This record gives sequence, C-alpha cells and structure tokens, in this order.
Amino acid sequence: MMKRSKKRGRLVTGVAALCLLCALIFTGSTAFSASVDLRDFDNQGKKIYEANDATPQIYMSADSGDRNLASFYELRQYPGSPPRIPHEVDLTFSGDETDCLSCHARGGYSQEFGKFVPVTPHPENSLCYQCHAQVLTEEKFVETEWKSIMPPRLGRSFLGGSPPPIPHSLQMRENCISCHTGPGAVVEIRVDHSARGNCRQCHAPAVQTTPLQEFVRKP
Amino acid sequence: MKLNRRRFLKYAAASSAVATAGALFPGVSFGNWQNLTNNSGIISWQKAPCRFCGTGCGVLVGVSDGRAVAVKGDPNCSVNKGLCCMKGYHSVQMLYGKDRITTAKVRKNGEMVEVPIKEALDLVAEKLQETKDKHGKDSVAIYGSGQWTIPDGYVASKLFKGCLGTNNVEANARLCMASAVTGFMTSFGIDEPMGCYEDMDHANVFITWGNNMAEMHPVLFSRMLANRKRRTNVTVIDFATRSTRTSQAADKSILFRPQTDLAVANAICYEIIKNDWVNWNFVNEHVSFHKGKTNIGYGTEDHFAFKDKAESINFEEYKLFLEDYTPEKVEKISGVSARDIKYMAALYGDPSLKVTSFWCMGMNQHTRGTWINNLVYNIHLLVGKISTPGNSPFSLTGQPSACGTVREVGTLTHKLPHGVVMKEHHREMAAEIWDVPVSNIDPKPTYHTVEMFRALDRGDIKFIWIQVTNPMVTMPNLRRYRDGALKDGRFVVVSDVYPTPTTDVADVILPAALWVEQEGMFGNSERRTQHFAEIVKPPGEAMSDTWQIIEVAKRLGFEKQFPWTQDDYIGKIWEEYRKFHAGPKHEMASYKVLKERSGVQWPFVNGKETRWRFNPKYDPACTNGKEFDFYGKKDNRAWIWARPYEPAAESPDSEYNFWLNTGRVIEHWHTGSMTRRIPVLHNAVPSSYVELNPEDAAELGVVNGEMVKIISRRGEVTMPAQIKGRGVPPRGMVFVPFFDESYLINEVTLDAFCPISKQADYKKCAVRLEKA
Repeated sequence: MMKRSKKRGRLVTGVAALCLLCALIFTGSTAFSASVDLRDFDNQGKKIYEANDATPQIYMSADSGDRNLASFYELRQYPGSPPRIPHEVDLTFSGDETDCLSCHARGGYSQEFGKFVPVTPHPENSLCYQCHAQVLTEEKFVETEWKSIMPPRLGRSFLGGSPPPIPHSLQMRENCISCHTGPGAVVEIRVDHSARGNCRQCHAPAVQTTPLQEFVRKP
Repeated sequence: MKLNRRRFLKYAAASSAVATAGALFPGVSFGNWQNLTNNSGIISWQKAPCRFCGTGCGVLVGVSDGRAVAVKGDPNCSVNKGLCCMKGYHSVQMLYGKDRITTAKVRKNGEMVEVPIKEALDLVAEKLQETKDKHGKDSVAIYGSGQWTIPDGYVASKLFKGCLGTNNVEANARLCMASAVTGFMTSFGIDEPMGCYEDMDHANVFITWGNNMAEMHPVLFSRMLANRKRRTNVTVIDFATRSTRTSQAADKSILFRPQTDLAVANAICYEIIKNDWVNWNFVNEHVSFHKGKTNIGYGTEDHFAFKDKAESINFEEYKLFLEDYTPEKVEKISGVSARDIKYMAALYGDPSLKVTSFWCMGMNQHTRGTWINNLVYNIHLLVGKISTPGNSPFSLTGQPSACGTVREVGTLTHKLPHGVVMKEHHREMAAEIWDVPVSNIDPKPTYHTVEMFRALDRGDIKFIWIQVTNPMVTMPNLRRYRDGALKDGRFVVVSDVYPTPTTDVADVILPAALWVEQEGMFGNSERRTQHFAEIVKPPGEAMSDTWQIIEVAKRLGFEKQFPWTQDDYIGKIWEEYRKFHAGPKHEMASYKVLKERSGVQWPFVNGKETRWRFNPKYDPACTNGKEFDFYGKKDNRAWIWARPYEPAAESPDSEYNFWLNTGRVIEHWHTGSMTRRIPVLHNAVPSSYVELNPEDAAELGVVNGEMVKIISRRGEVTMPAQIKGRGVPPRGMVFVPFFDESYLINEVTLDAFCPISKQADYKKCAVRLEKA
C-alpha cells in the first residue's frame, strides 16, 4: 500500500517537472511567476491560509475539552520538544509512519481512542518516528538531573485585552490553526476566531526565551 | 520602588486581585506590568479612529486614572466591526515612549535648548514674519501630512493660503496618494472612491494591484478572507511585483515586471474588446474616450513643468490604440503569460462576476501613477463594473486622514477646501468663508512636495514648518534634501512627538499632542469622517498642531480669522469648514452627529450616508434620470483614457543591475517613530533588512543576516540580508522596508515623479549590490 502510493508520488512529481520544463521552454525568460515558491517564506505563512480554507467553520469553533496544557506538557521534555506518542501504536503501523497522518493530518473523532485527534502543524514531514518517540516503558535507565525551563506563560498580552503575542518559535509550528483550533486543541490555547484567517495580523511573534528589546534611538 | 503605607495597601490590593484572577483562570498568568497607582481597576472606553493606516478602523481606547491602558476594536464601527490589527491593538503604548518630546526646544548657538512653548511660538511667528518681509511671501512654507487632523490641515491652509497669501502648503500625502487624486479627477472629475468597504461583502473576484493588503490593510484583508470562507464563489488574485503574504493567501499569484502594469491593464482591455465582453449599454450611455500627451518625462530636474492636454477620441481610435497591447505582445514586456492576462480579462469580462480591484502605493508611487489609475478604471468602465455593490475599483490610502485632511481640506499647493486656487469662483468662496480679501489668495500654485524641498535646497524657500511627518527619512533622494535643510539661512520648525531625523535638522521643535491627546477628525479611504475627543491629556507643554498654528496666526495679527478659544475650537472649525462642502455631492455631517457616531460617510444628505456614488439608488446627487450619473465631468460621463506603456525613470542596466523596491511591514508604520516605541512591535521586527531572491543571494554569496551594500547613483546603504523572510522579490529585485532610521534607504531612491500627480516613485530605481 505504502510502496504504491510512493510510486504514484514520484510519477506526479515527474509529470509536474515535465510541465514546468515545458512552461520554461515555451515562455522563455518571461516565466516570472514560477520563480518564487509561495510555500517557502514568511515562516511558511501559506499554511495558515490553506488550513483556513480547508477547515470547516463548524470544526473551527468546536471544543471537546479533551486535552489540556498539563497533559500537553507532560508529553514534552521541554517547551518546543517533539511530544512523545501518548497512545499505543499497533505493530502493523510501525513500518508505515505516514499512516499517522490518516488521523493527524485532518483531525476529527477517533472511534478507536474515543477522542478528538490533535492535528499536526507540519504534515509535510511524514517520517513521524524520526522525532516522535513511542513510550514502551516509563521506567528510566538511570535517573536524570535534567530540568526543563518553564513553559511560556499564557495571557501575556502587552495590554489588557490586546492579542497575546506568539510566545513560541514558529519553526515546525507555522500553522496556527492546526493546534489552536478545533475540538482536538488544548483548551487553554484554543481560539474560536481562527476563521479570520490571517493570524499574524494581530499576533506578533515575541518568543519568550529571548529577551525583550526596547527601541533606543542611536545618537 | 519606595512604598509608603498607603501605596503599599493599594499595591497589595492590586496584587491580590491578580492572585484572585489567577485562581479563577488556572494556567493563565498575568504579565508583569507596572501597576498604576490610584488605579481603581475600572476602565472607561471612548471611541476613536485608529492612528495608523487609511483603513480607518474604529477603536475603543480604555482609560484608567488618566492614562490610556487598553484598546478594543469598536463593534459599532462598520469598517472593522470590532477587529483590529496588531498595530491598532497596541497603539496606546505609543503615547508613553520615554523620549517623548514634552517641551519646546530652540537652537541657540548650535545647541537645542529647552524653552517655554510660548517663547518658541514667539520665535516661530517672528521668523515667519521676518522671512516673509525680507524674501517675499513664497519664501515661507508649511509641510504637513495625511496624519494631520482635519482641523490641523484646515487652519494651515487658512493661515498660509488665506492670510499669508502663499500657496506653499503641501503634505506628505503628495507622496502617498496624489496619483489616486489625479486618477479620480481625470477619469471622473471628482475625487475619492465611488464604492465603500461593503463592496467586499458582495464581490466574487478581488484583484490586488501591487497591493500587499495582508500586511498593509490587514483588517480589510481578513474581511476579504472571511468572505471567501463564508461564500463559495470568491476568488482572490494577487497581481504584484513581489511575492508576499498576500500572494500566499491568494488563490493565484501573478507577478509582473515593475512598471509593466500599464501594459497589462491595456492588454486586459484589448481582450475585453476582442471577446466582446464590453457592456455596450453602459459604455454608450456613460463613457467617453480620450487621449493625453505621451513621453511626458519624469521630473528629475528642478523646475520641471508639465501640463496634460485631453483630446477626445472615438471608440475605434481607442481600439486601434490597444492593438499594441495584445496579450502575446504584453507577455514579452511584462513577464505575465498571455494565458494569465486572458484569465484576468475573463474575470473582469464575465458578466456574472462582481469584481473589486484594490490598490494603494504600488499604483500611486509610480512615475505613471495617474495613468495606471486611469487604466484600471478603464477596465471597470468597459465592462460597466462600477458604482454597484461589489463592483468597485477601490483606491486604498495609507494614512489615517490622507483623504480627510489632504484631499478634502485640500492641503496641496493647487487646492482649496473646495476646488482649486486657479479658479476665481473657488477663490471667492474661500475668501468669503475665511473672511479675507479675495486678492489674498494667489491664483498660481507654487511648489509640490519634491519641488518644495528642492526650493528649500536652492534657497527659494527659507522658512519651513513641518508638522506630523518625518521627511528626513521619507524624501526620495534624501541626501540632497537633508543637506538642503541644513544649509545656512534655512529656518526649520518641526512639530512632533518623538525625536526623529527631522527634529535633528530643526531650529525649533514644538512638542505636539499625539492622537487622542487632542480632539480632532480623520477621514478614511471610504469617505468616512471620524471624530475623536481628547481622551487623555497631552504630556508637558505638548499642544495640538491646530492650536500651535492658531497661536502663531494670532501672533501674526490674524485674531479675526482665528477667534476661537481652546475650549471650543474644534467644533467651531468643523462647522466653518463644512460650509465649503455644502450640497449633495460632498455634504458633511454636523459636528454633533460626528461626535455621536463611529464615523460618518459623506455625502451625508438628509441624515443618510452615501455608500455608492454615481448610482441614483444610493446617491442623491444623481439627477440625469439614468441608471448612472457621472456628474463629476461636464459631459456627465466617466472618461476612458488611452494611456500607453512607458518605461520607468530608471531601469536596471549592466552597471546598476537590480530593481530597488521599498515599502512597509505589518508591524511598523511609516518611519517607525511611533511603532518602534511599542515594545511588541519593535520586538517582532527590531530593524530593517534587504530582501533578496534566494538565487540572487546565492550568487552574491550572502546568507540570512549577512550585510549587503546597496548602491545607486545617489547613495548607498549597508544592511542585513533577509532571504525567504516576510516576502520574496523575483530575481533581479531587492526590497527594503523604509521604517528604520538607521538604514536610510531613501538616500538610495530616486526623486522621479508622475508628471501629472507629482507623486514620487519609491518602488523603482536601479541599484547594484555588494557583499559588505
């Protein structure tokens, strides 16, 4: 199954490359619009718009209360680390990681787990196990003195009522809608106005692990 | 912090309130803000228009203990319906920068010395009078901005044009929307859009012409996206010279070579005619065809003069003119494939689709800015998609009162609040309302903005008063104009709120009230006038720009024309100004109504706002009994113009092989003198950079953050590279945000302008790059 779909993928890429080549030949130096990959700048901001288009309105405002921040950080070693996989993974799954995406690409309700599924912000990385580890035992090999920094605090708006800045790096987490929207989202960070579609219109990145800088006029 | 007992109790109470809130909202912690003393915890809210762009969002300013502490979107304002962007939400923080100018300063023996504001105003009046007596009335000038409130601009015009008798009144909006004005005047004979923001709720197709709305007009852009989400039949096309957030959000991004929008617009018209998508009923009844002069120059030389001459042509002549613009020919000029041109033409041509075009600086800051405005109107006129809900060629503005103050009050050298100085009956009207002899008003315009700063450099102007703008960052070919302002014998007065490169060249600095520290009105892009009260007190001796001008006018002996007191002057000025616009074409709401509502659109006739002009269903000024009445022009028709493609003033060549394009980012507004003092915005974009295409960067051998020297025939600046950042220019172009005074990119830009509008082109000049 997996092999077949990979082949198809190659074929599609091949055809696309051929088309691009044709386009280049026919339009010569005038092929101008093709020169920029719209997915590949501004922290892949295009993902937000695509997620906004692809996510039904009703899903955006839905809330299950299934996940909270405590359980969210429990799965992580430090804020921003890849979470461990919190559920059992059937052995037949293990050779075919892209199947994770059958649930985590779009979210929705999982009969199997009786929960709404969180959505990954980076479905283009389909080698899930590269970063996300399974939990086969909670026992440690040796105890550790590892300490994590505190996660960013919530509600740190600069003003009462102003939109809070984005406290985390956008790398791998470019698609705001995937984590902050829908019934699979963590309740404390879930928003119900993502249909506005242009998140960074109001929310500026202000990563809390770097010090704030003030503007000082050079003399 | 020293705590006395009383303060300690207050502090403890406040802390325990925070603790309580923390218990109520587990996981939510509150920021480490400095607590206000005497703070009851109660916030009162008052309406105001946002201080930044021309969208004109309604905001509610929260005040506690005499300080502005918060901002909400005003749900009663139809512009934004309760939503703001990050600049709006944090705007009140701009009031409290540590280096706020709160006292007047005067240059004494080369040093700026603090003086009481009365003394500074005395000096301003004395210098103004002395210069005028010695060198003539046209040696004194005032230069304001689209951030002037309506009363600011009105008293400036009244004092300089009416009382002092010089037309040396200009504003930075000349550099921002003059081409939009001349576009409207030449196509419709009357300024400002026929449509309104509500068009967005009706249109099926949005085409952004060189307009990065996602960052520059974000609140309008999200209304567009919300429409696309809610309705299934909405398409967004981004037609631009650089890939941006808007391109990412659009359904289709089409790039064109700089300046070739002229050719593409004509090609779209060619296709519309070729496929017989022309709305003949509309065209036969409501359109006439014209041509003007060609090879019209670029204004890079001093004393450049140009006057266009309109000639009537017939449809066949127009059609013949378009033969040069077949999609196949234009593909070669523009880099836009013939297929994409035909696609856009088909969208405009499809009678079942409502089309709204948006543009702002891309079309206006253009050496053929008037022409490209005309050409986009041509498209809408050929298919009759205009003045009906959803069918809207819409010129956006970049400053909160570019429309309200500069265009409507007319703070441009040739303008009066109603009409132009060249026309006798307009001068008579102004003289009567202003209570000055009509002979005071000079019938000859003097200097437009670029020429005004050239005149300052040459010494023709010796006294200039600059208010609410920062030309020593924004003038193109900046070095010449800064050196000029610093020459001996030039007296520069600057009214501002923070130190800037412009206050650096000042002989007198006057502390100004900022935004809601004064009462005033703005006017936004959709003909909406928005009143705001004095919500907080200005700091120190800071004073509204209006009152500064009134103080000087009184010192010059014009008490009769400026009889108002500080308690009532805004209302009185408004009611006097409103007389200029009486009548259904431009009737303004009364002071009372403006105070009550979150903005009122003009023409405001019999208590009703006019949402779509030239359409008798909505516009009471229509009188011809037909489906539309383009009453701005004498022939009661909208004018289609045959305007050719002509190249930019300076294009890349073998020596200077890159285009330089300049602009903004969402976080910062104009020269950043306000937004950089807002911590969240500064932290998000602390300094400027030069955007490079990844392939050009690789060829140059620079990676993100490495320094690049940008060199033009006029100057150079060295700044960090940004690759795949906020936007990506095509190969052969670099883009620089101009907000950062540490990297004065305008020392590199060219002071070429549109010969008709006299608006400079900040989007196109030739540079070369070196790895620094």
